[in-house]
Amino acid sequence: MPFIRTFELCIIALYLLATILYFTGVIRQRNRLKQLAQTLAVAGFGLHTLDLGLVFFRPGAPAIVQGQFYISLLAWTFLAIYFLLWRKLRLEFLALTAAPLALILFTSSMAVTTERLAVPAKLSSLWFGLHVGTFFLSIALLAMAFGAGIVYLYVDKKIKTKAKLSSLNKDMPALTSVDQANRWAVMLGFPLYTLGLFSGFAWARFTWGRIFSWDPKEIVSLLIWFLFAYLFHQRLAMNWTGRKPAKLAIWIFVLTILSLWGVNFLLPTHHSLQP
Amino acid sequence: MDKTIYLLGLNHKTAPVEIREQFALTNASPDQLGLVDRKEDIREGLLLSTCNRVELLFVGSADGSGEEKALQCWAGYCQRDPERLRPYIYSYRGLDAIRHMFTVASSLDSLVVGEPQILGQLKDAYKTAVDCGLTRTVVNRLMHKAFSVAKRVRTETRIANAAVSISYAAVELARHIFGDLQGRKAMLVGAGEMAELAATHLLATGVDEILVANRTLSRGQELAQQFGTQARAVCFEDMFDHLPEVDIIISSTGATRTVVQAREVKTILKKRKNRPMFFIDIAVPRDIDPDVNQLDNVYLYDIDDLKEVVEENIAQRQDEAERAREIIEEEVDKFQLWLRSLELNPTIVDLFDQAESLAQKEIRRTLKNLGDQATPEVEHALETMAHSLSKKLLHQPVTFLKRRAREEESAQEFISLTRRLFNLDNESVPSESHAFRHKQGND
Repeated sequence: MPFIRTFELCIIALYLLATILYFTGVIRQRNRLKQLAQTLAVAGFGLHTLDLGLVFFRPGAPAIVQGQFYISLLAWTFLAIYFLLWRKLRLEFLALTAAPLALILFTSSMAVTTERLAVPAKLSSLWFGLHVGTFFLSIALLAMAFGAGIVYLYVDKKIKTKAKLSSLNKDMPALTSVDQANRWAVMLGFPLYTLGLFSGFAWARFTWGRIFSWDPKEIVSLLIWFLFAYLFHQRLAMNWTGRKPAKLAIWIFVLTILSLWGVNFLLPTHHSLQP
Repeated sequence: MDKTIYLLGLNHKTAPVEIREQFALTNASPDQLGLVDRKEDIREGLLLSTCNRVELLFVGSADGSGEEKALQCWAGYCQRDPERLRPYIYSYRGLDAIRHMFTVASSLDSLVVGEPQILGQLKDAYKTAVDCGLTRTVVNRLMHKAFSVAKRVRTETRIANAAVSISYAAVELARHIFGDLQGRKAMLVGAGEMAELAATHLLATGVDEILVANRTLSRGQELAQQFGTQARAVCFEDMFDHLPEVDIIISSTGATRTVVQAREVKTILKKRKNRPMFFIDIAVPRDIDPDVNQLDNVYLYDIDDLKEVVEENIAQRQDEAERAREIIEEEVDKFQLWLRSLELNPTIVDLFDQAESLAQKEIRRTLKNLGDQATPEVEHALETMAHSLSKKLLHQPVTFLKRRAREEESAQEFISLTRRLFNLDNESVPSESHAFRHKQGND
């Protein structure tokens, strides 16, 4: 479908430009560049939404049995969460995580061939939608927590070790607002992740008749869930603030990405996106 | 007519804190000091008192009697023995006084060289003096010059960039930790001057409330009053009860041992649910256990850290200071020239010089226009006319000036006025100075 192709190339170009401009804007401390990047990202996001809609409602092969659709949707969720956090907390720094991730994911969604997946039928049930939607949202939130965590550790180290004031970028967000992003990611992300996990189990129960099937993806996801639960508990009950939750969020996100790529592409699993 | 500029003062280099405290003239107006007296020789004066310095500037007769009087007034106002004050003060006359004033205004004499606050304080001091009607030609001119010298030093050297003040650094760090300082609470432990300065900066950047915990409650209350409604004093003993609600702590007590221990901070942190805390320890010896910095979400800076944080290349800074001093020397020379011109005779000479050169210019132009018609007789007649016209035109003003010169009171002002009226100094007057003149019309 050549029309869709040019459409998608446009999105990639917009995301790429936005990513480059975000980085140069932050490094050179130019607000104009960052604003421009933001505009480009919004434009790309708009096209992306349209693209997803077109693919979803395309007559013929249902989109939801294609791996490409999911990766593209995940890229879209990253940006959606970023825009939400940007509106709430004005943390434009998170664009440094969201924009490149969306770019990489969207581009790799193009690389994944449009061949059908060997996904079982009955995918359109409510449980499956819940499973994918909540998981993606929580992964996007984790990505933000990851970016925020790296910024937190960086600024915290500078202040603790008494680095020269001039070496601290003026536009760098304050520690408390970065921590706030982590808080959001944990408070919203953990319930969403839990919902994603258990709706997956519920769906498996209805579809395959068994809740847990020792699938590598299931094992890793459960492990991540325990870590996430620990972080959630420590944040809520033990008032964890700052470095510790930042570090843990970084680890959880890294594990999630590993499980996304590593497990989905390399190991035999019913979550496989392999063509 | 023989008058000299005097400057008497003490600062952080010449006097220890106790002396500076005892002889501070905070909130005093020059009027209250009784230094300037219209009947006697001292007719212009200005009083600058900050946490690090007191400066008395006045214009008095050249015999130096004013210096002694100023010292008496100063000690008298503080109700202390002048002899106690004497060893700590410096006194400058004439050019040295001008130079010192310029140096102070340019912040070269400050504890943290280049910090911008001193200029604002000096402007306030000048405004107070103007409001009291205690400034005239010399002080007005000197202060306007001091402000423009400070501006020149700031724009032409990098001294101000390099020397970001310590309290500024504290505020910047607080911003990196807390972001917007609105809604934050700060506490002063002990009421030192640097702490006061930092607190002022914090308030200016939006901190909501400041608590003052001082060993003597009354001093704490006094300080809290200075900050207005946003500050209140608390008992020193109750300090730990208040700490959980405080985000920024500036400590500057004279205690010989640490006041706040790491394990105490640990319990406080628990109470405030690990919300970050920022300790600024200005005291020497230190008030806060250095281990506090090891705790998560707690940041501790002592005075050396803060200095270190703002320290730029020292050699470069000295270069900049050197250049600043050159600018000041240049301006002192200019000011001296102006002071000399305030005497009557040079002014009359300048007036006639100006008239003479104007006459010559006009004669040349007319002769050129006449061309062939300009016979030697015509030329002679023209010259006579032009010269006598210029002389006659100046006759009345000069007589007036000479008559006024006998009345000491107003001579300088009229001379200065004449110089400006005829623009004898060929200068462009900054527009803002007119506003000050206007204000003065009320006195």
